[in-house]
Amino acid sequence: MEDEEMEKKVQQYLHRKGFRLTELALQEERNRLSTTSLSDVSLSRSDNDPARYYDGYNKLRTWAYNSLDQYKHELLRVLYPVFIHCFMDLVAEGHTQEARSFFHRFREDHELMHSRDLQKLEGILSPLHLEEMDLARSLRENKFRIKLCEYSYELLLQYLQKTQALVMLGIINERIIFEVSAGQPSLISDDADVVALVGTSKDLAKQINQKEVHWGLIEDSVEERMEKALSDSDKTEAESKDADAEDNNKARNSLIKKSSEGGKQGGPLNKKLKKDKVVGATGKNNKSEASMVSAAPRVKPELTLPATPVEVEQSILEDLRNRAQLNNLALPSVSFYTFLNTHNRLNCSSISNDGSLVVGGFSDSSVKVWDMAKIGQPAKTSSSQGENGSSQGEHLSLTSEGKRPYTLFQGHSGPVYSAAFSPFGDFLLSSSSDSTIRLWSTKLNANLVCYKGHNYPVWDVQFSPVGHYFASASHDRTARIWSMDKIQPLRIMAGHLADVDCVQWHVNCNYIATGSSDKTVRLWDVQTGECIRMFIGHRSMVLSLAMSPDGRYMASGDEDGTIMMWDLSTGRCVSPLAGHNSCVWSLAFSCEGALLASGSADCTVKLWDVASSTKALKVDDTKAGSTNRLRLLKALPTKSTPVYNLRFSRRNLLFATGALSLGS
Amino acid sequence: MSIVPKETIEVIAQSVGIPTLHADVSAALAPDVEYRLREIMQEAIKCMRHAKRTVLTADDVDSALTLRNVEPVYGFASGDPLRFKRAVGHKDLFYIDDREVDFKEIIEAPLPKAPLDTAVVAHWLAIEGVQPAIPENPPIDAISAPTENKRIEHVKDDGLPVDIKLPVKHILSRELQMYFDKIAELTMSRSNTPIFREALVSLSKDSGLHPLVPYFSYFIADEVTRSLADLPVLFALMRVVQSLLRNPHIHIEPYLHQLMPSMITCIVAKRLGHRLSDNHWELRDFSANLVASVCRKYGHVYHNLQIRLTKTLIHAFLDPHKALTQHYGAVQGISALGASAIRLLLLPNLETYMQLLDPELQLEKQKNEMKRKEAWRVYGALLCAAGKCLYERLKLFPGLLSASTQPALRSNKRVATNNPNKRKSSTDLSASQPPLKKMASDASMSSMDSAAPVAGTMDGFSAQLPNPIMMQASSSGQMADGIAAAGAIRRGQEGNHHAQRVSTVLRQAWKEDQGAGHLLASLHDVFGEGIFSFIQPPEISFFL
Repeated sequence: MEDEEMEKKVQQYLHRKGFRLTELALQEERNRLSTTSLSDVSLSRSDNDPARYYDGYNKLRTWAYNSLDQYKHELLRVLYPVFIHCFMDLVAEGHTQEARSFFHRFREDHELMHSRDLQKLEGILSPLHLEEMDLARSLRENKFRIKLCEYSYELLLQYLQKTQALVMLGIINERIIFEVSAGQPSLISDDADVVALVGTSKDLAKQINQKEVHWGLIEDSVEERMEKALSDSDKTEAESKDADAEDNNKARNSLIKKSSEGGKQGGPLNKKLKKDKVVGATGKNNKSEASMVSAAPRVKPELTLPATPVEVEQSILEDLRNRAQLNNLALPSVSFYTFLNTHNRLNCSSISNDGSLVVGGFSDSSVKVWDMAKIGQPAKTSSSQGENGSSQGEHLSLTSEGKRPYTLFQGHSGPVYSAAFSPFGDFLLSSSSDSTIRLWSTKLNANLVCYKGHNYPVWDVQFSPVGHYFASASHDRTARIWSMDKIQPLRIMAGHLADVDCVQWHVNCNYIATGSSDKTVRLWDVQTGECIRMFIGHRSMVLSLAMSPDGRYMASGDEDGTIMMWDLSTGRCVSPLAGHNSCVWSLAFSCEGALLASGSADCTVKLWDVASSTKALKVDDTKAGSTNRLRLLKALPTKSTPVYNLRFSRRNLLFATGALSLGS
Repeated sequence: MSIVPKETIEVIAQSVGIPTLHADVSAALAPDVEYRLREIMQEAIKCMRHAKRTVLTADDVDSALTLRNVEPVYGFASGDPLRFKRAVGHKDLFYIDDREVDFKEIIEAPLPKAPLDTAVVAHWLAIEGVQPAIPENPPIDAISAPTENKRIEHVKDDGLPVDIKLPVKHILSRELQMYFDKIAELTMSRSNTPIFREALVSLSKDSGLHPLVPYFSYFIADEVTRSLADLPVLFALMRVVQSLLRNPHIHIEPYLHQLMPSMITCIVAKRLGHRLSDNHWELRDFSANLVASVCRKYGHVYHNLQIRLTKTLIHAFLDPHKALTQHYGAVQGISALGASAIRLLLLPNLETYMQLLDPELQLEKQKNEMKRKEAWRVYGALLCAAGKCLYERLKLFPGLLSASTQPALRSNKRVATNNPNKRKSSTDLSASQPPLKKMASDASMSSMDSAAPVAGTMDGFSAQLPNPIMMQASSSGQMADGIAAAGAIRRGQEGNHHAQRVSTVLRQAWKEDQGAGHLLASLHDVFGEGIFSFIQPPEISFFL
């Protein structure tokens, strides 16, 4: 009697607290106790029967597929975690064969959403593998979080209760946390978002993404100073004109304030010079084009930045003045550098900021640099020579210098996976599978430093936007920050669960972003070395990253050809887009951030309209998770040349490289 | 069970010197081997991605093994992906074709050519968003496909602000404008120079001409209506059309509707050229072939293209008030469309038309020599068309000769035989071809003198054709005797054949081909012996 009362109280408590499943389990337990010992025996017998997983799952699946259309997609979400845990339970109990057949029987249901995970899980054949494989371990350790609406949740509970599906109930209880929301079921389009999240990594991400990100641009940059000069001259007109645009005004005011501080540092002489030059006919044009960038807030650099030499600054200013304005109607010109006769050995390529230098990293450990300015000139004089590039190259090497038309850098002892020019083109970094990074001087044509720190192949290396610092990404699951003058890394960013495949600096040099084989993109604070953002959403390894010039957005491309745009401050995906049919090797924003260019293994360069989609986002900013697709402006197919690298010059000319691959 | 069966483990164990492996051991090892394999493949795929490739090579596997501190597999290095061959008799068993190489051969072989060194070339993939049509870029049709996708995408983009583009002026580059002007000038004034020929080659090959197509089609349509009296210009224009149609980089379909009327005009116009001596026949023939080629090429896309065309042509043909030149054009146009068009459109109307044509052909009734010549032209064209049709029919049943069931002929005719010698028949074919062409174009025109050169078995036709009286006799259908006589002669000439060898199989075939038999008979009624030149000589000899 007392027991019963106690039970009732417990039940009431559970009910009040909303522990439905526990409550259910309790009831179940009681039912079981009250039933005859016969069923008890049968139950215990079935306990070890591997077929019970199969039956249970099969029933649950049939039920879910036959459920109400409106709630079906929500209920189907439950199947995936149940499926993989059934499988892993079977493996853990040693029923390898049953696990196999179970896996193959139901695999195709989840193929669409989770094919890559399934490929990995398929390899699990013994309990030992469960321990060893990261994916399996994290799946076992963490819980799935599934969003359901109230009614589907009730449906599920009813079903589990009615059919006495104990095995399923156990798994669901143990492995899934339900987030029950009142009202209508969520949209089908959110599916990806809801299911791809795995357990605590989501929690972690949430927690991490609470931190503050100062995504603004560095104050007192050359561009800003130029802006300021312009705004000074325009100020009198602008004040009256822009009265309606409150946002703009604020931004400008703050900008003016800051730039006046900046002006002090910059030195009056320099400033005056620029002002004189800039205030010309082009002035207004430039202003309107750069408005997106100028609206961004400014932040102080956390690193001590190197000073830019005066003549470099001059050339930058020159470029800024000649910048072509790009938007969805005015598309860029694309200059394509095709590598010929690479024999499948070109691993990476990169272009210097002004497009005059092109570097290729090869799997025979060599790094080759072409000076396109030199190649271009003789080619121009004998342009009628024909389109056959190779013969032209040969010809050049024979006539002009009597040797090869490129500079060969030798030093690595393994395939070179990445190469990058410093912002002013005088240094070159290359990273290789021999786990080293080498610094070369393009002026001296010699190796200057060999940075040893990584223990495994270094997949990617990138100079910071101001030079001097650089970041590397490696198979050893870390990303590291270096400065050119130290052979030890300054920071080690650890946290990714698999290889770090690509790295990219934020425009203000305070953050780096890394893309990884664990399908996440992370943002790290350079100063503290902490992970401050985690972007979850890709379904395969992330291959390329790009930061928008205003520092607010980031684009990432993956192995499947998906390109996603992220808002750094909220950590949310702004616009997913299925952009390409194959790996996205490279992404680049145009200088004022209106366009995004993507280059892919499917032999196309595509141009996307960023400005209008982000504008739309600002309008309905409150509507969370609205999926604005980026608009495709133009697809430029190449002649069977996968696009390896893209770069917008400061004048907004788009450079692209690729290796001609015939026959495949 | 796992992909790697136990047996494989046992085989591997034996190969490394463990003769007997306990079953439990192999059973335990098999899943682990599979797991390790998958692991290596996963790493290899990573290496492949970072080498920016989408095809896995042996090098990638080697790198993956090195990553795991395992000795790489030697001897499989290759820059290219491995070429697997399917094992005969097995659905999913593949192997690498690794043939044995003789050392001596390699040593004695001359040094292979050094591979070309890597080079970088630059080109414009796009200029202000537009891809220039240069050899380095993929051809235009590859570009036109995505634009359609884009349109679809536009529709899908609800939420986003869609900018509506106002109708913009079609901007042509300076170069293209100059090119167009040059071509237009050449066409109008210097169409007989070698430069024009070069221009035509350029028109049929150049990949960047697509923007000019609307201008060209307008130009052609315009000039054809304007210069109907100027034959060289018309001819030049048609040649321009021909070149444009040939150009693989031009997407000409949207402009066909503009070009077709001009071409048809050049076939069936009443007068082309201002002088009587102008050889407008040739232009009509040329245009007819051009139109036919359009039908062949685009007929499947625009199913009513040919229908509309034939309607126009048959209309011109059947209207007795139309000039003979128009009739000629119509006949040529239809006959260019092929045998079935002739059979369906021309032949049913042949007899009635011949009645109309007859008076024009005769010296007594048609005093105007010009008119008479024209009539003979038409006659020649009809004969040629009918012959072509007949020839096609006979070619379909190469082995047989048709029995003529026509009452008038049945009495004295019997049939034919199989020509067992295919090669011979084909040589005969080629032999018979040139004269008939010649006949169509000029033989009948230049009445008396042209017949003489045509020799051999053809002489019957050639000799008789220019003779109006003879022809008149044949067309009136009272030719039984004449045929018999001619037949007798021929039989005498080629007496070595054996008409009696008619197998049952052939008899079967006759039934199918009775249509052809009828056809021949009726054609014979109309044309007399002229039609025989379209039948292969050995066969005709037996036919008679």
